Amino acid sequence: MNFLKQRMTTTLLVASLLLVFGSSPAAAADKKVVLVITADASDYILAAGGTIAKMLDAGAEGYLVRVTNDDKDSWDLTPEETARRTREESEQAAKILGFKEVESLGYRAGELGGVSPTELRDRILFYIRLYKPAVLFIPNPYAEYVEVLDRFYVGQAAEDARRAASLSNYQPPFAVVGLETHVTPELYYYAQPFDPRRREAESTATFVPQPKALDIASTFDKKLRAAQALKTINHSTAMRIKDRLESTDRRLPLLDEINEESVNRLVEINIHKLAEIAAKDTEHSQAEEFHYAGVEYQIPSKYLQ
Amino acid sequence: MNRHISVGEKMGTLPSAAYHCSPWLHRPRATRSGLSPIFPRLTTVLCLALLGAVAVSAASIGPLPQGKVPPGKTLMVIQPHHDDHTWQYGFGGLIAKMTAAGYKGIYVRVSNDEKDGGMQNGWGANDKSNYEDAIAATKNLGIGEVISLNWRNDHMSSIPHVELRDQLILLVRKHRPDVVMSYHPWGNYDRNPDHRKVAWAVGSAVWLAGFANVRPDHEKLGLKPHQVPFKYYSQRSDYGRGYHPNIFIELTEEDVARKALSYRLHKIRVSAGAGRHTRELLDARGLKIPELEGLSDEQASERLQEMLMYWTSSQSGQDNGVRYAEVFYFMDEWHGVPGLESYIQQNAVER
Repeated sequence: MNFLKQRMTTTLLVASLLLVFGSSPAAAADKKVVLVITADASDYILAAGGTIAKMLDAGAEGYLVRVTNDDKDSWDLTPEETARRTREESEQAAKILGFKEVESLGYRAGELGGVSPTELRDRILFYIRLYKPAVLFIPNPYAEYVEVLDRFYVGQAAEDARRAASLSNYQPPFAVVGLETHVTPELYYYAQPFDPRRREAESTATFVPQPKALDIASTFDKKLRAAQALKTINHSTAMRIKDRLESTDRRLPLLDEINEESVNRLVEINIHKLAEIAAKDTEHSQAEEFHYAGVEYQIPSKYLQ
Repeated sequence: MNRHISVGEKMGTLPSAAYHCSPWLHRPRATRSGLSPIFPRLTTVLCLALLGAVAVSAASIGPLPQGKVPPGKTLMVIQPHHDDHTWQYGFGGLIAKMTAAGYKGIYVRVSNDEKDGGMQNGWGANDKSNYEDAIAATKNLGIGEVISLNWRNDHMSSIPHVELRDQLILLVRKHRPDVVMSYHPWGNYDRNPDHRKVAWAVGSAVWLAGFANVRPDHEKLGLKPHQVPFKYYSQRSDYGRGYHPNIFIELTEEDVARKALSYRLHKIRVSAGAGRHTRELLDARGLKIPELEGLSDEQASERLQEMLMYWTSSQSGQDNGVRYAEVFYFMDEWHGVPGLESYIQQNAVER
């Protein structure tokens, strides 16, 4: 009985997904809403900025939910000033990529380990039901060696939020105010290349997210400009590298003088290399890597047939 | 630590070497040193008895890049329990190498180990005894200081993550380690919740200790932010998916001997009961280990533990083309900026 119920539910889910979004997830991405969840101002740009810009260039409407306020990542600035500047800069960066709106949830950076996962999930769930995205980008909580643990917490909450947003027994009050359940058909898990095993599929099952590399040559410049807009974070990164080198009697000629020009050049080197790493062993020259769960990867093939 | 009787060292697939090519890594030499013929036979028999099953020799997966002692002065080992600095899967050999190379060592023991021991004299006695053993065992490895955080053993799941993390940030800023070692924050299926709790807090602390806006009150004590450049993580590799090490460290005979001694210095790890039980298991299978003949049960237990230490070190060594080794997941100083790592390595010069 349970099996029959489960099978009927799955069949209905398949039918509704195909009815609403057709068989081409790309088509949905071109016309629908793209919702990006990020733990901090820089991660989604460095890992997925080119792909997102491409979708927004193609006509999708973009919304960004930035969970923390980035108040820790600066050099010689108070948390308050850091948060203020980074909010402004992250909005500029999002504008460059083509986002329509940025929602900053304001959680303190580095402190998500003390935040209830249910609270975080429900904050994200709200935006999924509000914007009803066709495509969702979230930090990959399964990527290992990502030392910025906020990305893990946000990825985990966002994945759970996507599932919960489709089920009416989660947050019933939302329905009262008009936020109906929503199934997001396409899901991109993103992460910078910290995990050496990131190109391995999570399992041999056909319905789990699959590794995927996408060409970003056409939007590379946008991605670069968006990354360079994060002046506070970039300055902090440059200072940390210089500090570490100096503490071991080394120097990087590029950073002998840290100014806008040298920091922008550092960002450019970073963005180029990240695109090269993702493009390695693919047909692309500049790419981004994901674990991707489209309609075809979320439903066992036997049901699709 | 859990009672560990497993012997299989399954290390899974070799990770891409592309991301951790630090100047302190180089490829291992191709030759393999053999053990004396009697030793593998003895240890195989031992393992059969210990597990009551066929011992699975680690599949040779090809050598990992070889790690070296990185430049630096201070090593901080942060572990949940009194004896987690030294067991067959890691740490002790590398700690011995580092202190021999001039590193000052600090051991942070997070729990009070009150459950590790019998109840004859109560939990307090276990805490005291295990603390004293930790001092002796880490001293044998060249570590000069043990800091006990006194969290209750096996009650650590309920410790607020941020509170434990902040204690570790304080210690990191005080001692400014060049190297931190701990259980693996991303290890899979470590069944000891204390291990998981502490590993995650260590991962969090080393990430945040370098940011001045994290616990700015530490500045009042004159403590500056500190980025930990080198991290070595390990976990038993035969639980679930274990983890995938990315380097090996070659150990000398002396390193293994020091490691084995440190393990034995934890009295709880060597008992007459364990020696007697193993002999009974061997007897039931019609087997015996000649080396144990004539030894008391306690001496037999001690000898068995030593064999296990050598056997595991030799298995890791064989996988990597050397006699003895430990394996780790190593994060170097530029791990946090994967797009800049190669540029910095190629362009940084001496001042």
